[in-house]
Amino acid sequence: MAEQFIGKLSEFSDGDRQILRIGEDEIGVFRHEGEFYAYSNFCLHQGGPACEGLTIANVEERLRPDKTSMGLHFTNDMNFVCPWHGYEYDMKTGCHVKDKKVKLRKYDVVTRGNDVYVVA
Amino acid sequence: MSSPEPARVKRSTPAPRRAAAASDAGMSGQDKANFIKAMMDGVKPKAAAGAKTKPAAVKPKKVVLLRKIPAPVRVTRPSNPASDEALALAAALEAKLAAGDLGALTPQAVQALMRALCRFYSANVGAGDKYPVVEGRMSVTGTDAMIVCGALLKAVDLQVFELGMWQSWSAV
Ligand code: FES
Repeated sequence: MAEQFIGKLSEFSDGDRQILRIGEDEIGVFRHEGEFYAYSNFCLHQGGPACEGLTIANVEERLRPDKTSMGLHFTNDMNFVCPWHGYEYDMKTGCHVKDKKVKLRKYDVVTRGNDVYVVA
Repeated sequence: MSSPEPARVKRSTPAPRRAAAASDAGMSGQDKANFIKAMMDGVKPKAAAGAKTKPAAVKPKKVVLLRKIPAPVRVTRPSNPASDEALALAAALEAKLAAGDLGALTPQAVQALMRALCRFYSANVGAGDKYPVVEGRMSVTGTDAMIVCGALLKAVDLQVFELGMWQSWSAV
């Protein structure tokens, strides 16, 4: 594994994504709230383009003490959704939101000055 | 008669104890010397030992950009007094909802707001100003959208099928 130059920091605005082929791997690189996250673009369900779907905050249902619903709300945790059948992955860990054992391969992203590298 | 010279017994200099171990292992002289030298010098740390050999050059992989997916664009325009009032009302309603006060608005008030917003948005789209109906993807949940869309279709006695047909035939 070595650092592979993927572009300039200034080319990534917050919320931007790039899908790259690095050697044999297809990788999705996200910039979210100033941080970079990179994952394998092969969905663990059926190999769909895991990093190319919606990015959406986690939804939770809030309940009153008597367990009646106060409706659905977004939390601050961001997820991305595989566009094929909706597998939803945590942006920070690459884990499936409901089953933490299902986890996309994660790649480290290194910034040096204005250069961005993926370790692959 | 001179006394005979005492027989010289050839003795090796006393070896350190560590060398005894080497001789026990049946080593040659050179091996023993190397062994003792290594023992005296100590074992070099990995980094220093590795420094002698040139690391194999890592071949850079080919990086190909397949596609860029930009962040969703935010629509912002200069505000005006009516918009400021609407924003204040929206914020107050969100706060009531967060507090669980579902009765903060009467059904008549919700219906009046819904009617006004539907007609206002539709008139803008009809005039060519097609901004997104809610900002970003985290303004309303999918469940909220389906409940409201379903209720609106029902209110005007339309089926999802008719919506699909209209969307595929119209330019809106
Ligand atoms: S392939 Fe990704 S959800 Fe099915």
